[in-house]
Amino acid sequence: MKPRFLTGLLSLLMPAMVMAGEYDLTVDRVEIDTGDFVKEGIGYNGASPGPVMRFKEGENVKINVTNNLDEMTSIHWHGLILPFDQDGVPGISFPGIKPGETFTYEFPIQQAGTYWFHSHSGFQEPDGAYGAIVIEPEKREPFRYDREYVVQLTDKHPHSGDRIMRNLKMIPDYYNREQQTVGEFFSDASKNGLMNTIRDRMAWGDMRMMKADVEDLQGFTGLINGKGPEQNWTGLFEPGERIRLRFINSSAMTYFDIRITGLDMTVVQADGNNVQPVNVDEFRIGVAETYDVIVHPKDEQAYTIFAESMGRSGYARATLAPEEGMEAAVPQLRDPARLTMADMSGMPGMDHGNMAGMDHGDMDMNSSEGMSGMDHSNMEGMDHGSMAMGKGGQNDPFYAKGSGLVPTAANGGKFLSYADLKAQDPLYEDREPTREIELRLTGNMERYTWSINGVKYEDADPIRLKYGERVRFKFVNETMMTHPMHLHGMWSILDVGADQWNPIKHTVSVQPGTTVYMETEVDEPGQWAFHCHLSYHAAAGMFRKVIVEGGPESTQAKTDVIAKDGGEV
Amino acid sequence: MYDNYYEPEEISVKPGETVRFVVENKGNLVHEFNVGTPDMHEAHREEMMMMVEHGVIQGGKLNHDMMNMDMGNGHSMKHDDPNSVLLEPGQSKEVVWKFSDKGNIEFACNVPGHYQAGMYGEVNFE
Repeated sequence: MKPRFLTGLLSLLMPAMVMAGEYDLTVDRVEIDTGDFVKEGIGYNGASPGPVMRFKEGENVKINVTNNLDEMTSIHWHGLILPFDQDGVPGISFPGIKPGETFTYEFPIQQAGTYWFHSHSGFQEPDGAYGAIVIEPEKREPFRYDREYVVQLTDKHPHSGDRIMRNLKMIPDYYNREQQTVGEFFSDASKNGLMNTIRDRMAWGDMRMMKADVEDLQGFTGLINGKGPEQNWTGLFEPGERIRLRFINSSAMTYFDIRITGLDMTVVQADGNNVQPVNVDEFRIGVAETYDVIVHPKDEQAYTIFAESMGRSGYARATLAPEEGMEAAVPQLRDPARLTMADMSGMPGMDHGNMAGMDHGDMDMNSSEGMSGMDHSNMEGMDHGSMAMGKGGQNDPFYAKGSGLVPTAANGGKFLSYADLKAQDPLYEDREPTREIELRLTGNMERYTWSINGVKYEDADPIRLKYGERVRFKFVNETMMTHPMHLHGMWSILDVGADQWNPIKHTVSVQPGTTVYMETEVDEPGQWAFHCHLSYHAAAGMFRKVIVEGGPESTQAKTDVIAKDGGEV
Repeated sequence: MYDNYYEPEEISVKPGETVRFVVENKGNLVHEFNVGTPDMHEAHREEMMMMVEHGVIQGGKLNHDMMNMDMGNGHSMKHDDPNSVLLEPGQSKEVVWKFSDKGNIEFACNVPGHYQAGMYGEVNFE
């Protein structure tokens, strides 16, 4: 990447000098070596991941993208606020970049933090076309550190994206090897009773579902900054330094649970926006999300950054060390999570009344332990009963009550929840939304079709929004998978119950059997993509075009919009 | 005090000197100004964590009723030690402290997460 700075000439013509950076990117066929296998894929400037693009808040950037492939390509700047024709989605922002063509993106940088970029054409992103964006802020950040690293994760699979999609369409559980075993039957029987276990298996069997459907895609090698676990990407530090780690999940399909044995992490940014600092031992990063954390290693030793997939079928691993070549112990993968009936509760046609003999009191629900020393029943203002309790008594209101997916920290400590995220500097004034739009996340696993409100992208009308309104989106997850919903071009203000302190994100994860709300101030004209960021779900139809009607000249949304467009879209 | 740092970030004192700190919270969140050793700060952070869990510190507000709540073992969560102040945005208070001997002294904010994010300052002895 060759930055060229246009100064001099321009400053003669303009009263104030405008910062401008020019960057060049080529889109190339590259070889990807994960340590487990070597595969041809797609990258930028000859490599996958591509280079880290470093911008400054306030500058105007010009990025020349040359397509050296023999097929169309595109680059979408994930999380960036920019004019819609610079957003890089073929068919929505622009036609795409032809083979041999050089397309120049040009837009002002209106924010700071950690973001990423990737192709929005075909399955080029899972094939390797992704990179990181780091934007330096104009003002001082509300946290300090001595050095920083990008830690970008992906789930590289030995099959190409096209091949994976074909296989999933033919046999939806082609890549889902984690089936329940006879051994599990016996251990469940001894824990829950033989009759309960038999009834459980028969109930799930009746539904033609596998309890193991936590992950669609197993068999990948986790990569960090392009390196597999054996290759061991290493970040150096001097003991006593505070290090900022910019975690980016650039996977096609995989959620990772991340911990660094021996180091606490202080989360300071989520999706590029500052959050009030939260100390955690572990956090779950959804596909397309970013989290920036500060760690403070004081000892002269190596630390392992361990990223276990949510379904525990694979992992990624890197090291922080005072010197190259040092390594710390790599933990074993924990037991796979299993869905419970609670995770299924959103699905249509689930008539629990018919499932005779299922004593939910015995199954999968653990008693709450660990609340010793205090008489919580007397404390006002704390409704412990309404919080979803997973194993070990962890509460997370963003999981179904009784869910089998509630994460617990491997060391018994604190696991980050969406409920812990509060904006450090709210971007918008808190106000009542002008209307609510319900989006049911739907799908048919047997045919591997994924959709919104039961309708696939190609059969759906666009969602129409009015410039100036504030829309409240209601995601209702009627499937048993977790979906990271990403609206391009405008912020998603996630409702965690903190009013003006609700965190500002670009990607919102919706767990099975839950309803999640987020609000958007519609302040960017044009048309935008809105989709589940699991690559094979988006391609299977879990996608919509959003059209923003009106622009800065028009007045605020009128209430007749509700009468005309309210309800399902 | 700002979100989440002090200005100045370090000070110089002579052993035996008494200093009057005029502390003003110019941020949007509750912050602490606490003078002590790193070990004292670490212990105090556990206490502050409990204050957050029990709703005493809520982002930019302090719940004064909760501060006086009896935790069941004779303790309350009133934050009234002489070496520190806990301020809501816009508030201003003074701390008067005598730095008797040289030592490893810092001033720090022990609201959960703030110290780790870098909200501390060094006391250098001349």
